[in-house]
Amino acid sequence: MNRLLLVTIFLPVAGALLCFGSRTWIRWAALATTLVTLALALVLAASFPRGAAEFAVFDVPWFGGSSPSLDIRFSFGLDGLSLWLFALTALLMPVCVLVSWEAITEHVAAYYALLLLLGTGMLGVFAARDIILFYVFFEFTLIPLFFLIGIWGSEERRHAAIKFFLFTLAGSLLTFLGLVAIVVWNYFHSPSGVLTFSIPRLSLELIRAPIDPALQMWIFIALFAGFAIKVPLFPLHTWLPLAHVQAPTAGSVLLAGVLLKIGTYGFVRFSLPMLPDAAAAAMPWLLWLSVAGIIYGALVALAQQDIKRLIAYSSVSHLGFCMLGVFAINMLGMEGGVLQMVNHGLSTGALFALVGMLYERYHTREIARFGGIARRLPVLAFFMLFMSLASIGLPGLNGFVGEFLLLMGMFQRAWLDPPVEWSLQFKIISVLAVSGVVLGAWYMLALVKSVFFGPLHEPGGDAEHAHDHVPAGDLKFREVLALAPLAIVILWIGIWPEFFLARMRPTLQMVTARVQPSLERLEREQAIAAETESQDLAGEPGRRDSTTRSAMLATPAQVPTAHLARVSVREEMPSGAARCVPLEAAGPTSREEPTRAR
Amino acid sequence: MPGDAFRLLVPEIILVAAAVLIYVFGAFVNARALWGWTALAALAAAAFVLLGTSLSPVDTGPVAADHLALYTRWLTLAAGAVLTLIALRPLETTGQPEYVGSLLLAIAGTMLVSAADELVLLFLGLELISIPTYIMLYLGRREATSQEAAAKYFFLSILSSAMLLYGFSFLYGATGTTDLDTVRQRLADGQDSTTAVYLARVALVFVFAGLGFRITAVPFHFYAPDVYQGTTHANAGFLSVLPKIAGVLALVRIVAIAMEDIGPYPWRVAAALAVVTMTLGNVVALWQNNIRRLLAYSSIAHAGYMLIGLAVYLASPTANRFFDGVAAVLLYLLVYAVATLGAFSALSCLGRGDRQVDSIDELAGLAWSGGAVRPALAWALAIFMFSLAGLPPLAGFWGKLAIFGSALMVRTVRDGIPLWFWMLAVIGVLNAAVSAAYYLRVIGAMFFRPSSDAPARPAEMGGALVATVLCAILAVGIGLSGWNWFPLADRASPRQVRATPVTAATAPMADVGPLVAAEVPR
Repeated sequence: MNRLLLVTIFLPVAGALLCFGSRTWIRWAALATTLVTLALALVLAASFPRGAAEFAVFDVPWFGGSSPSLDIRFSFGLDGLSLWLFALTALLMPVCVLVSWEAITEHVAAYYALLLLLGTGMLGVFAARDIILFYVFFEFTLIPLFFLIGIWGSEERRHAAIKFFLFTLAGSLLTFLGLVAIVVWNYFHSPSGVLTFSIPRLSLELIRAPIDPALQMWIFIALFAGFAIKVPLFPLHTWLPLAHVQAPTAGSVLLAGVLLKIGTYGFVRFSLPMLPDAAAAAMPWLLWLSVAGIIYGALVALAQQDIKRLIAYSSVSHLGFCMLGVFAINMLGMEGGVLQMVNHGLSTGALFALVGMLYERYHTREIARFGGIARRLPVLAFFMLFMSLASIGLPGLNGFVGEFLLLMGMFQRAWLDPPVEWSLQFKIISVLAVSGVVLGAWYMLALVKSVFFGPLHEPGGDAEHAHDHVPAGDLKFREVLALAPLAIVILWIGIWPEFFLARMRPTLQMVTARVQPSLERLEREQAIAAETESQDLAGEPGRRDSTTRSAMLATPAQVPTAHLARVSVREEMPSGAARCVPLEAAGPTSREEPTRAR
Repeated sequence: MPGDAFRLLVPEIILVAAAVLIYVFGAFVNARALWGWTALAALAAAAFVLLGTSLSPVDTGPVAADHLALYTRWLTLAAGAVLTLIALRPLETTGQPEYVGSLLLAIAGTMLVSAADELVLLFLGLELISIPTYIMLYLGRREATSQEAAAKYFFLSILSSAMLLYGFSFLYGATGTTDLDTVRQRLADGQDSTTAVYLARVALVFVFAGLGFRITAVPFHFYAPDVYQGTTHANAGFLSVLPKIAGVLALVRIVAIAMEDIGPYPWRVAAALAVVTMTLGNVVALWQNNIRRLLAYSSIAHAGYMLIGLAVYLASPTANRFFDGVAAVLLYLLVYAVATLGAFSALSCLGRGDRQVDSIDELAGLAWSGGAVRPALAWALAIFMFSLAGLPPLAGFWGKLAIFGSALMVRTVRDGIPLWFWMLAVIGVLNAAVSAAYYLRVIGAMFFRPSSDAPARPAEMGGALVATVLCAILAVGIGLSGWNWFPLADRASPRQVRATPVTAATAPMADVGPLVAAEVPR
């Protein structure tokens, strides 16, 4: 299996070497490569054992193998976090080749070669188990996408490509500095005294010798710079609409489907487990930014005239949901957030592909110029409606599962076990986030309604394209072939999410368990502060103070739900504890436990 | 004992002899290509001899026989070979033998600086670079701008040499010797004698000023953009690599090794220069339209990154186990030389008639301009630009990793806190992001713009194309095998050097008295 993983990752590079000669040959070579890659990835995903922490680990010393105190490994592997993102990447690759089939007429060889190189870059990012390796793939994805946007994009492509590249690079360089800082810190403070870049090893060693909290915050900020730009979180999203709109269809699909996920993936992979104190302390900030992204993205999407731009802003909103789930820092939120990453990749990837198909037929993306297209293109309209509903979160489709889980997680965090000081703002955040769901339904349905329903009017009448414009035909077999697999997986996740959730759970539990103690400590401190304050107000200073304080400091906060209890140490709660959550309060969420248990 | 020193310098002697040969017979034999090939043969012979150089513990007098010298001499030879390949192209002007001969002399000078462990020899080496450079700049092009460039370089170079020499005289005054090992010992011993340390601090300032010119550190960089713009691509490539190697090596030998013990001043100067140099270089490069001017500012910026590594070395009294400061600088020199030489050789393949490419606009649409060579050149240039920007998986990434890693590895600082170096790393990283903007402009022009009237390539590209391909392979190859180059650079670091028995054996011998010191006047 481990060899298979390696082959899967590097197969697209081999395919890129085949990209020469006639256009037909290149397209078929690229399609064959991506299909084989997909097949291999599916084999890997299918044989991923439930409950496994890691799978298909390929691990050899890379550099400095001779030096025992230097540990840089050429190490790949899949775990619950990366498995589905890896599979998603492999799934979107053939889709990209298929949507480019006729759209790309210039520099075909270079196009498919770059697309395949991008494929290897993305697969490698998710599978890398070494920081250097991760970063090499992380940055490497920039180069092919830069060319894809800049060469084959629309009118403002140069500007878009350069802006995209610079934004991402500026952030990711700081991220890299942060990652190296973690490595160096660990080298100086861990008992092993090894300069290790291995991600699992670092995560383990940092449990025993956690980084100084003040330093954690700085490193967290450095990591945040790169990952938040990539996500993109609210104030840093400005590169995204431009890049999305200007990119060729395949570029948009991959950008939305996979590359944005690298940001959220980075948070879950690095920021949370390696910098738990900082993650806990930064929680409200991240949640506010996420919810700002949700609302802002949705509102701006409502105002868009351009279909692609609308979907680009919907991405900002959806990624806000993912981040909200992840930074609820409990199992429900984490599962929902990670699943939502995959969901967004599927539905938004498909939506971008559909917009591309529409554009190929009408050479415009202006919403106002369309109307009643469903009558002309029923199959396209069906897929559009299907994907929109998936994106909105219709029960039975994937979006519902992800959003429901992550909102549950957020509500649980806000009502059942919020750190005292943050209780109110978490409640506000939860409510605002739910309103984002409504807004999401609004802009997507408005789009579908005005483009596909109502009286038919097509933008084909303009003189510019009149000569080559036979009345637009419906989806070709090739295009259906590109969309159908996505629709099937969307349905699958919607109907049987446990299949996907079960495989990601062990890893996410580890991540949650790593942050939990920091969160509990933070809660205790806040509880003490609140207690002291209330006592001061009550006019009996100091009398019970010291005893309560020590009692509370000695007590880890009660873990309210059963699945959190699985991953953290439960202790008997002394009666003197000032702040506790009644166990009854945890009822509603723990009731669904039986269905979710292994 | 002089015999040993001479034996060590055989490669340089071969190069100088070949240069003399070329100078003399070039006047009579009018066969342009012949002299280029002669020079390559001389370089090959020098490499062959260098291959056999052992680092046996002998007293080598003013010549250092350590890994630092060996690493840099190899680097210089390789860079020199690439430069000779570029020069293989028959120039429009006469003077091919003179050009190649001067190039050989400059290579020999750089190698001499790499190996010099003594102030006078070091200065001789630096002058052996400067004087042929003047000739090369005059030979390059016959235009008003190129004459101006040559004159500018000449006067400023002389000024910097004078400053350096002035600094050396302070160092000599402080310690009474020109042998660098002895200088180091006497400065270390005489830490209580304040006069020596004060004099050494004055020397420090002048040494930084003099060598700052060679490595184009701000504020001694002013000549670089004008000179690069006014000269040929081949000359610009030469100027951006060989003097930089020499300057960095001289800084390592004088400041990092000899002045190690004069307090926190050296690292503060280096760190301040690093910040100013990289920031100014990168920011001003954003506005450049002339490709050589742009690369001149880029080369200034890269000098700034290298100074970070130097500052790290100077600041930490103990060795960094990984990412040693000077090792990082040496690795950076390698990856920088590969990408810069590659870029200039690729550019020198292009041109319209006898005009060379000047502005970035002339590169528009190069990637799609038909034929096989020009697109290949465009892709190669893209590789070099990405490598200079420090993107993985290209060579430049490992240089940046080494430099920034070394800054993060600092734990104890002479009279300071590691935070300074963390900030230095952050500033460096932000600079790297800024630098990407102008490298991308070059790539954007080549790939994203329509090819209107793409620059025709000259009839004969000669060796420049070979040099380009070679550098491209190296940029990717080093990128893919990155960490394997670290031990090479690491072994060359002075801290490693001192640990090996090679110099341990020579150290006591230094008391016998340096070879040249006795003859130095004043």
